[in-house]
Amino acid sequence: MKIQARFFASFQELFGIRARDVELAGGRTVRDFLDAVCDSPARREGIFSGAAIRPHIVVMVNGVHIQSLQGLRTPLSDGDTVAVFPFLGGG
Amino acid sequence: MPAFPISGYHGRVLDIDLTSGDIREKPLDPECAVDYLGGRGLATRILYDTIDPGCDPLSPENAVVIAASPLIGTGAPTAGRGHMTFKSPLTGVIGTSNSGGTWGAAFKATGFDVLVVRGASPGPVTIDIAPGHVDVLPAGDVWGKTTRETNDALTAVSEPGSPARVLCIGPAGERLVRIAAVANDRNRVYGRCGPGAVWGSKRLKAVRVRGKEKISVADKEKYQSGLDQALYMMKQAPITKRLLRELGTAGLIELINLISMLPHRNFRDCRHRDEDVEKISGERLARTLLEKAGACFLCPIGCQRHTRVTGGRGTEERGEGPEYETMILMGPVCDVYDMNAIARANYRCNELGVDTISFGGTVACAMELFELGLITSHDAGSLDLSFGNGDVLERLARLTANREGLGEALAEGSYRLAEAHGRADLSMTVKKLEIPGYDPRASYTQALGYMTSPTGACHLRGGYAVSLAFFGGTREIPRFSLLQSPIAIRNMQNTGILQDSLGICRFTGFAFSSEPWARIASGVTGQDFSVARLEEIENRIATLERMFNIEAGVTDADDALPRRFSEMPIMAEGRERRVSEKDQERMKRDYYRVRGWDERGRPGRELLRALRIRRRKP
Repeated sequence: MKIQARFFASFQELFGIRARDVELAGGRTVRDFLDAVCDSPARREGIFSGAAIRPHIVVMVNGVHIQSLQGLRTPLSDGDTVAVFPFLGGG
Repeated sequence: MPAFPISGYHGRVLDIDLTSGDIREKPLDPECAVDYLGGRGLATRILYDTIDPGCDPLSPENAVVIAASPLIGTGAPTAGRGHMTFKSPLTGVIGTSNSGGTWGAAFKATGFDVLVVRGASPGPVTIDIAPGHVDVLPAGDVWGKTTRETNDALTAVSEPGSPARVLCIGPAGERLVRIAAVANDRNRVYGRCGPGAVWGSKRLKAVRVRGKEKISVADKEKYQSGLDQALYMMKQAPITKRLLRELGTAGLIELINLISMLPHRNFRDCRHRDEDVEKISGERLARTLLEKAGACFLCPIGCQRHTRVTGGRGTEERGEGPEYETMILMGPVCDVYDMNAIARANYRCNELGVDTISFGGTVACAMELFELGLITSHDAGSLDLSFGNGDVLERLARLTANREGLGEALAEGSYRLAEAHGRADLSMTVKKLEIPGYDPRASYTQALGYMTSPTGACHLRGGYAVSLAFFGGTREIPRFSLLQSPIAIRNMQNTGILQDSLGICRFTGFAFSSEPWARIASGVTGQDFSVARLEEIENRIATLERMFNIEAGVTDADDALPRRFSEMPIMAEGRERRVSEKDQERMKRDYYRVRGWDERGRPGRELLRALRIRRRKP
């Protein structure tokens, strides 16, 4: 299945791109998606602290925070958009 | 009973009556200082004791009160924001606004905690507060000048070790534009609620301050432990450590779009093309217009955007911004995604002294009226007011500030503009204050914040629910929870009251909450400003602001969103979202209960006794 990855703020630098498609086998989760995009030690370290996502990082599936879904176990479907960004504020 | 001296305070109020020319120094009531802390709290208490909340805001009966906080003058991070209160000529309710920059700290160094300006001068004046003397002087040549020109002219007299700092209005304030601002350091703006018009009505162009008065710290160990904790946490949190410096506040734009909260076309919907939103993003701003980041007084965050724009004829100009709110209100809310056009209009608003949020909201309202044929091409002086025409923004900023042509109507703000055309429902305001850049249908918490903000629709006084919507753990506080929104927004509003009363920046809240501030405030003053005590103070100030508004004529019916938000849904999290009148009613009744007010939103006698709030002497 095809997932659209979107990176914001400092993660555009870390992943070298603003948006790209990621191919995953069916029945996969947000953790599988993050494992796939974290394809270097620097990227892995930028996202994970051990098995958990680092504090100050937000991951959303189709505009919904994964904390409101099933966290890293949130299932993904073909065509989903996964956004990765640091805590940001303003206004 | 507390008594002066109390460290952190000078214990002095400067009270100037511009009608009589009387300049008086008064002692600050120590009980008032400890009960209302400083900044917003202290300025609200003194305003409430000084004016009749029912007065005409553009009459000499209104007053401007500016208060420093006990933290200003210490090394506490970001502690330099003077806070101004007044009765707003835009909304008719309490006006309350603050700004970064350096003026607040310089004012505290004059040896006063509070400045009260009342009455109205027969001719344009400036106030000069310097070591050993205070003068009301003819404004002379600076009347008519921009905020930048006024600042530069009046700071030219600086002395070594005691630089002059200037707070001033531009031409918009002089012409009583109801959305006029007050500025310091050229581009740091007390924007909301029309303070510039109140200054203009008093014929007050500027307040220049110079001083070297220092304040002492009562308990250095406690103060230092709070300070160390605060600075450590600001270095740990990526947002305060570097993200705001790198991207500025506009770094939020793409994320707000992602959660369907980014308003579009006078708040009709939240639908944008991603490639359009990218054109006005903080990332794009950092790559194109940004020359350098800057910081306010004692701020380690440094979110200011010092930018450069190339004009239509190839001319270059420099200024500050755009910030998030400016970018959204002059941008997608007007269906504009042209960052250069927004930046140029932003520069004009700063120079002429106009609030960019209310200006953008008013232009969007005018664009909708134009689309409906209610504002004609003739009314618009042949300007094309179609949604999406960014080229018109800069011209409209000038017309508004000068009250020329269509600007005469825009200068009144969107509510009066729409009402004059029989369509008040097209003004996206609460209590006549334009809604900022977060759509209330995308978060019930934000909706309730706008409804119950003491100043009308304001993300800073009403509660910055965005951080709850997706930073603070959405499982704990879902953004579409009718049940949890009243408590959540009360807590957010209280945090804002504390920050405004301590004279510190909202963005410190992204790194830590009130615990370090409690230690710092207790350490500076030697008073008990524990977290529990601070919460009591926050509740006291919120209730006092409500009392002011009730005496100004506010009822529970005013705590409501424009009809558009209950009738016209947006899509968010896969569903249609609106804030129905029934849901608004339920949330606000719950909110009143959380605040301890009655079912109509009125504080009762018992609550006033519990919070030790004295009623105003008539």
